[in-house]
Amino acid sequence: MIELYRVWKQYQKPYWALSDISLTVKKGEFCFITGPSGSGKTTLLKTIFREVFPTYGQIIIAGKNILRIPNHKIYLLRRNMGIVFQDFRLLFHKRVFDNVAITLQVLGTPLREMKRKAFIALRMVNLHHRIWDYPTHLSYGEQQRLAIARAIVNNPRILLADEPTGNLDPELAFEIISLFKEINKQGTTVIICTHDKELIRHFGDKILFLHEGKLLRKE
Amino acid sequence: MRPIFQKIKYFLEEVLNNLWQFKTRNAFSVTIICLSFLIVGIFLSLSNNLRFRARELSQNLSIVFFLHQDLNQEELSLVERQIKQSPLIARIRYVSSEEALEKFLKNFPELREIVDNLKSNPLPSSFEATLKEEPADTSRILSFIADMKKNAAIEDVQFNREWAEKMQSLSRLAEAIGFFLGGILILASFFIISNVIKLNVFARQSEVEILRLVGSTNTFIRIPFLLEGTTLGIAGSLLSLLLLYLLNKLFPVYLGTSLGALQEIISFRYLSFYQAVYLISGGAVVGLLGSLSSLSRFLRI
Repeated sequence: MIELYRVWKQYQKPYWALSDISLTVKKGEFCFITGPSGSGKTTLLKTIFREVFPTYGQIIIAGKNILRIPNHKIYLLRRNMGIVFQDFRLLFHKRVFDNVAITLQVLGTPLREMKRKAFIALRMVNLHHRIWDYPTHLSYGEQQRLAIARAIVNNPRILLADEPTGNLDPELAFEIISLFKEINKQGTTVIICTHDKELIRHFGDKILFLHEGKLLRKE
Repeated sequence: MRPIFQKIKYFLEEVLNNLWQFKTRNAFSVTIICLSFLIVGIFLSLSNNLRFRARELSQNLSIVFFLHQDLNQEELSLVERQIKQSPLIARIRYVSSEEALEKFLKNFPELREIVDNLKSNPLPSSFEATLKEEPADTSRILSFIADMKKNAAIEDVQFNREWAEKMQSLSRLAEAIGFFLGGILILASFFIISNVIKLNVFARQSEVEILRLVGSTNTFIRIPFLLEGTTLGIAGSLLSLLLLYLLNKLFPVYLGTSLGALQEIISFRYLSFYQAVYLISGGAVVGLLGSLSSLSRFLRI
């Protein structure tokens, strides 16, 4: 499903954010990428949804080399992905509902369908009672759950999450990863970047360890 | 709701939100656009008036033959016959010196005192000859006038075709000045819209980023910005039309009377329907192009 061949990324000489990364994540796998801060986890994730272009290497998703997709067609790749960002990236001037529905809005989903799907996604993260609130009125943890709801609302084939539990208490963190696990059971490939060892130990099917941009080991 | 209407609704909501969110800078750009188009509009309506007057004059093209005073009836009839014989003339009318004075005082009431101080009527009697409707060759008219001037009973001849032509050139000049000055200001508006949209793009950079990452097409991201620029352009030009209308109504009341007879020339005639439509479309195009130029340079998608 997701294949990386000898991927290198350099932002600034002489440092390599990613050095010769080759890996495969199969369809329906539940995968953690872990490692210390600055090890290249976020960069690796960003190369998968092509926010960052690798310096060398190839990335194949569902049999397609995503580096060859022209810029104006990249939206087709991203429509199959749900992405949860470390900094949430919410629309603070829009309501909770609109933040989730924006993913469906760009696809041209009919209003009734959009309402239904947005409500289901918000119920999954237990935010359905805050549907008309603004994100600024939500707690940090609730904002994170909102970001997750936006990522899962369209039943993506791939779910990428960068530190999705970074600001949650252990109980809620467990709940969120259990939610990801549920989504994964429905066939979605899930890749999560985290350094929460407890979560990795409890949920980890496949674990990739990164250190200074190098893939140290796969478990 | 059908997806297409839903998208339109989304775009309109976005445009209204954004216009409201950055209202100060948007109001500033609308004002600049309005002033630019107002300049064009003012000169267009001056030109309209001059063209109207020129048309009025050409429809009543006439030659006025001023007569020497103290002519007897026989001499008058001779001149009248001589004029009537010309194939260029449609009709002829005798204007006595009393009638001429009356007309003069009606047109220039402020000069009544000067006229009253004079011992006698200074205005000569005349024949007003109206030319036939089809425009005759000017050289034929001029040669007819030259022939008439040989008649000792005629003191002077006034032919107002020159006036009609002068009015028409003045009208063209006013139009050209309007387009020149307006053009410069419209160019300035273009840059202002472009910069306003640039600021709006920067202010919404994070939103654009999110839209990109959830799979928006470039068009979906661009449309609200383009609509925003176009709306600013249309709002500015509509406002300029409204101001021009007020100017049209108020000018004769406040300034018109002090201009006396000149009021007929220096006056506004409101734009025609097509001119108004062109002005609004001009505003829309300036707004659209301003946004486009800004998006192509600053919206990284």
